[in-house]
Amino acid sequence: MGSNSQFNMSDESLISSLACGDTKAIQYIYKSFYPTIEKMVFKMNGSVDDAYDIFQDSVTILYEKAKADDLHLSCQLSTYIVSVAKNLWLKKLSKNKRQSVSVLYDDMEESVAVDSDISHFHEFENNVTKLQDCFIKIGEPCNTLLKAFYVENKSMQEIAINFGYTNTDNAKTQKYKCLNRLRKLFFNKNENEFLNERTY
Amino acid sequence: MNGPINTYELIEKYCLDLMDDREKLFYEMEIEKNPALKSAVYEHKTLMLSFEHMQDRDFIHSTLDHIHSSSRSHTDAVLNHLKLHINKYWKTASVAASVAFMASTLTFMVARNVYQRDNRNSVIQLKGYINNIEKEQKKIKNEIAKVKKKVAPVPDGPSKYTGTSFALTQNGYIVTNFHVVDGYSKIFTFTADNVGHQTEVVLTDAEHDLAILKITESDFKFDAKIPYSIKKSNPSIAQRIFSLGFPKEDIVYNEGYISSTTGFEGDSSHYQLELPSSSGMSGSPIVDESGNIVGIISDKLSHSEGITFAIKSKALLNLVKKLPKDFNSNEIASNQLKADSRSNQVKKIQPFVCVVKVYND
Repeated sequence: MGSNSQFNMSDESLISSLACGDTKAIQYIYKSFYPTIEKMVFKMNGSVDDAYDIFQDSVTILYEKAKADDLHLSCQLSTYIVSVAKNLWLKKLSKNKRQSVSVLYDDMEESVAVDSDISHFHEFENNVTKLQDCFIKIGEPCNTLLKAFYVENKSMQEIAINFGYTNTDNAKTQKYKCLNRLRKLFFNKNENEFLNERTY
Repeated sequence: MNGPINTYELIEKYCLDLMDDREKLFYEMEIEKNPALKSAVYEHKTLMLSFEHMQDRDFIHSTLDHIHSSSRSHTDAVLNHLKLHINKYWKTASVAASVAFMASTLTFMVARNVYQRDNRNSVIQLKGYINNIEKEQKKIKNEIAKVKKKVAPVPDGPSKYTGTSFALTQNGYIVTNFHVVDGYSKIFTFTADNVGHQTEVVLTDAEHDLAILKITESDFKFDAKIPYSIKKSNPSIAQRIFSLGFPKEDIVYNEGYISSTTGFEGDSSHYQLELPSSSGMSGSPIVDESGNIVGIISDKLSHSEGITFAIKSKALLNLVKKLPKDFNSNEIASNQLKADSRSNQVKKIQPFVCVVKVYND
């Protein structure tokens, strides 16, 4: 009888406050589901760090789906998140060829199909890894400038001031050049290809 | 450069869904006609989604890191993990242990043959015999002394339970844990000279797991005045402490520190100590660096190596207030150990730490 039972959130209200990025919702999710997922990963030969990594990824999936209003559950939220975590961990195990999963975790009540959510997530993760590589390659000021606009959500005015551009148009031009270089790196294109050709 | 920038701005506008319906319709028609534009839009969308994902995961990771690091479940997790590993590897471990056992038996057998030819060994053995005889003699002497005093003899059979206790007054008031004596009336206290004295329970405080006992012999006296005092105020976290107790027949010294000013699950009448302890040490005094008694060992966290819980000395001081008049609380009010080195402190406290044994009626 811990703090969990003191305030019981319904799955719907939890999902909607998670979608708004409410840290209380994340805290609730941690308290309610982390112990179960940790135990599960342990039983399947994982370490504490593995369990936490898997949990972070599972919550990220949950958050993105909630934000996109794409979480239409046919089961309890707990079943969903445990299924996601289990599949993420099995994928990771098979990837690392650590196939000595002697103890299979079968005492789970039920599980749901989450394959498409997980493959989506892995696609995103791969893209982020690639993106981070590209950020390093394009160097400064593009790295900081693009991150300021696209990741930190700063306005063009702020960026113009911070980066010492005389006006927002100059900043925009610079941003465009940077993004263009980033895109070419990201999609393995020739520097001269595409938008520089006056096809329209 | 204007052309490409305009193109790119339109792509961005479209991807952010900022176009009105009419503009959007025309733009989508243009996309369909122009494969280069189509792939440009696709690429831009992919990049934007990647940015968004980067943002989302950063947000979740940093929020969870904050929650996770401030959560105690992390340590529990490590414990759980260890337990699982123990379960996983016990077979391997038992095989290893039996191999080790066989190896050591073999060594022992070989070594015995060598030693049997060694005369020095018999000298050592003789020395052991003499020590034993001396011990037996001492025991007999003590028994005779007791018969002379007409005191109750120590029962023959093994005791049911043993704990540690320490003196509160020179005339034989001692304190131990309530759980050590709970339910027993045949209680004997063994002083440092290994003599058992019949003891009775005077006062108990089950809530704080304390029991005050008195050695019943009317002429009993500890050899010296109580050297330590019992501290009224609570010591703070991180303070170094030591304990003296009887996990085996002989007294054992341990040292550690106060790791928390509350006990198990936040119990404010206890401390949490980082101090090795084992059964038989219930009732051991916890002594601070200047020789004040600050607590009494009550229990330890099962499965853990060093976590021990102790009752705060304040609970003891509250209890002694209820004792009869032959208890003189001044005896535990002043401390004569402040200037001593640690080993001298231990030497002086040792005679006042006793074993308590309980027997079936």
